[in-house]
Amino acid sequence: METATQILLLVAAAIRLATPLLLAALAGLYAERSGVIDLSLEGKMLAGAFAGAAVASVTGSVWVGALGAILTGIVLSLLHGFATVTHRGNQVVAGMAINIAMAGLIPTVAQAIFALGGQTPQLGPAQRFLNVALGNNALTFFAFLAVPATGWLLYRTGWGLRLRAVGENPYAVDTAGLPVARLRYQALLVNGALAGLAGAYLSMAANAGFSRDMTAGKGYLAIAALIFGRWAPVPTMLACLLFAFADAAQAQLQTVRILPSQFVGALPYILTVLVLALVGKGGGMPKALGIPYVKERGA
Amino acid sequence: MHRLLSPVLMLVLLALAPAAVTAADFMPAIVFDMGGKFDKSFNQMAYEGAEAWRKENGIAYREFEVTSPVQREQALRQLARRGAAIVIAIGFSQGPAVATVAKEFPNTKFTVIDAIVDAPNVQSVVMREQEGSFLVGMLAAMKSQTGKVGFVGGMDIPLIRKFAAGYRQGALYVNPKIEVLENMTGTTPEAWNDPTRGAELAKAQFGRGVDVIYAAAGGTGLGVYQAAKDAGKYAIGVDSNQNYVQPGTMLTSMVKRIDKVVGEAFTSARDGSWQPGTRDLGLAADAVGWALDQYNRPLITAEMEERCKQATADIVAGKIKVSETCSNAACTN
Amino acid sequence: MSSEITPARRAGIEVAVVASALIAAFAVAGIVLAVIGADPIEAFGILVYGAFGYPEAIGYTLYYATSYMFAGLAVWVALKAGIFNIGGEGQAYLGGLGAALPCLFLDTLPPILLLPLAMISAAVFGAGWAAIPGYLQARRQTHVVVTTIMFNFIAGALMTYLLNNWLLAPGGGSPETRSFAPQAIMPALHEILALVGIKIAHSPANLSLLVALLAVACTWTFMFRTVWGYETRVVGANPNAARYAGIDPGAVILRTMLISGALVGLVAVNEVMGVHKRLILDFPAGAGFVGIAVALMARESAIGLVLASVLFAALAQGSLDLVIDMPMINREVVRLIQGVLILFCGALPSLFRKFITRLLTQSPAAAQAGAL
Repeated sequence: METATQILLLVAAAIRLATPLLLAALAGLYAERSGVIDLSLEGKMLAGAFAGAAVASVTGSVWVGALGAILTGIVLSLLHGFATVTHRGNQVVAGMAINIAMAGLIPTVAQAIFALGGQTPQLGPAQRFLNVALGNNALTFFAFLAVPATGWLLYRTGWGLRLRAVGENPYAVDTAGLPVARLRYQALLVNGALAGLAGAYLSMAANAGFSRDMTAGKGYLAIAALIFGRWAPVPTMLACLLFAFADAAQAQLQTVRILPSQFVGALPYILTVLVLALVGKGGGMPKALGIPYVKERGA
Repeated sequence: MHRLLSPVLMLVLLALAPAAVTAADFMPAIVFDMGGKFDKSFNQMAYEGAEAWRKENGIAYREFEVTSPVQREQALRQLARRGAAIVIAIGFSQGPAVATVAKEFPNTKFTVIDAIVDAPNVQSVVMREQEGSFLVGMLAAMKSQTGKVGFVGGMDIPLIRKFAAGYRQGALYVNPKIEVLENMTGTTPEAWNDPTRGAELAKAQFGRGVDVIYAAAGGTGLGVYQAAKDAGKYAIGVDSNQNYVQPGTMLTSMVKRIDKVVGEAFTSARDGSWQPGTRDLGLAADAVGWALDQYNRPLITAEMEERCKQATADIVAGKIKVSETCSNAACTN
Repeated sequence: MSSEITPARRAGIEVAVVASALIAAFAVAGIVLAVIGADPIEAFGILVYGAFGYPEAIGYTLYYATSYMFAGLAVWVALKAGIFNIGGEGQAYLGGLGAALPCLFLDTLPPILLLPLAMISAAVFGAGWAAIPGYLQARRQTHVVVTTIMFNFIAGALMTYLLNNWLLAPGGGSPETRSFAPQAIMPALHEILALVGIKIAHSPANLSLLVALLAVACTWTFMFRTVWGYETRVVGANPNAARYAGIDPGAVILRTMLISGALVGLVAVNEVMGVHKRLILDFPAGAGFVGIAVALMARESAIGLVLASVLFAALAQGSLDLVIDMPMINREVVRLIQGVLILFCGALPSLFRKFITRLLTQSPAAAQAGAL
């Protein structure tokens, strides 16, 4: 009985921990499937977390707050697109630049607006995503429903086919008369919205307000989950769940005090490497990932 | 013209700086460690102390937030060079840097908090976090219905172990059968700024029957306090008085009066009463303790208050010895 | 058309592109500064002065540049083989362990033996930490980006454990080792030059700087003048073609990761043996990540790599004076400026390339000017 309760608690914790990772990893999935590496998930999440909590705190509405987070994510995605799609800049550098700039900008803006040392005010119940059913909030349901939705969009619609094609072979897409840049921008719009929501989950669901650097590396972990999941929706979800489950389990294991806390703390990462090593054989990477598309001019 | 000249002027000023220190233009300075002045922990306490001092005395101070280990020494040196009369260094990591720079600037006063540096122009302040933690451990044990209390630390380092050890001893002092669950958040600097993780660790401990959690983890603690509120359990704040953060579920806060230490150092440096040497501050000096205010008044019974008062007196008198570490669960060492 | 562009002219274009990207970056950063109420020109004056304005500042800038060169080289080498090693942070951390062990336990050796031994040990530990992700990528196709991210976390855990439980200075209350003996410390540049009668300001810049420059030269020679380097480039360009040419891509990837890890492991020689003189918690302080930006900005040029390292070093060092002297500027603003700089110089040079190329290739006179 005791054990059963513990396992249930563990699963519940894993689902909570997986939600922001999943939203961010799906965000990355859209961008990378279209051929744009997105290392800026961390920065977009941080900005989304702040914008969501700030807007919710000012307007008093959780939904307006969520919209703020989405729009902020999209603005950063457009910046990323401007640098990497329009001007064919290095995608990795652009992503890192956004992360670093946001790590500087967000606390500055937060301090300028609220003067609380880089925090937003505490959010009340009406400004937060509260549990709606089965002990989970709307964003968690949205995140897990987004998995089949993404699968359907990518593999069952013409837009998804074109998007995947742009990530595999933009030249062929271009030859077929389809706009490469526009497709990539569309992917980035979805990417920004989801990444913003991933941040909103942190500040408006898991916590009640924004605090400095609260993404704490989750954006990078999401990229790892995406690659682990081979850029496909369901495996990516499973990867997020695995990370989250390992994380939840280590919290439980630590309290037993058998192993040094550092080893237990590293268990999720060790486990990931082990699973990856055993499963082996990568693949699934979009072939044009990271390569800016240069339209052939009639030379 | 002025702009073009300023670098040259600065060079001249730099050369003259050590000689330029006078009582008339008293300039105090403070160097925060990596967490930054808004770390919801000891750096922020120091910042609040410096701000309070500035408002009270109308004297501006210089400050620097370290972003890489090598900057510690450099920031201390630059501030000393610019004529700071006293430079306060916050955090144990700054100890070696203070030792080096203090030698180079024998006429500048240095106060280092949380480290001991033996030099004629250095004042070292160490706080007995374990003593304050002992008291909040007692309160946690007295409040707990389940006989299980929890601790969430930022990183497994000696400083945090002091908090954990004091807490454990205090809880055991009240209830020798109590179970104390300990979690450390992580091993990278992110561990101090991860409220989501903090909330999960708290939920995991609540799931195992814990009903009071003490967090010593900087910004991560905010997640612990929120989780306690959401679950209707109790949390204990740290460093500054955080009772106001979640009124009704913050049992108390273990306060570490770094703000007071900073103000005292500035003031004593100005009026000439500043003394080098080590200040080992604990309950006796009122440098650590537990917070009681309108936010947690309803949660604290007269009996709890009385027992804490008694324990405080016993610790000050040396009747209770609070150890800095616990090598086993019963803390028998 | 493109065949008419001489190497000299192309170099001119590159220089003009980088220069305009820098100017644009500083323009945007200037707007940011103006918004927060700081005089941008004064701020940049202090920044440049703080990085290059006095001898000690130059020393500090060179010290930062040393670490960034090692870290940048590591990323650059791996990129050449088509792999993205973002585990520099963890590999440098382990390099610190490698450097510290001989410095702590073999410090009866004379410096002439101890210093090279500790350097080799740092490189070996760095390479060792890169070996597992390298092997998994080479033989199991496990994506190196994921494993190196994981290994950064694992390195943090391992080092925190070791520093708190085994390497802690006796009686010390903080997670760091005891200070190294004098013979285990990399001589500072001011000490070396003092031997030959030249006096310069004290700074953390040390012999590692020369090691770093030597490493840049060796790496370029390796990559463009040796068979192994050639194989690396072939694998990076097209693994399938490499296979047809009889090259085992797996072996090349593993080898390259070892070299990459060894290079970034040397960051520890600069930091641990040169500056901190003991092993401390989190000493790489993000150098491994700066290395990514440095490598990507360097492109094909060794000089580019050195200059990119100096640029980031100047920012790191110059911002110290900036923060101290302009109270409205804090470290967050500095980070924002860094982000803007990386965006413009690393990701947006093409914004200007099109324009400048057109400008410099349309009229021969203008092209000539560009080349000069």
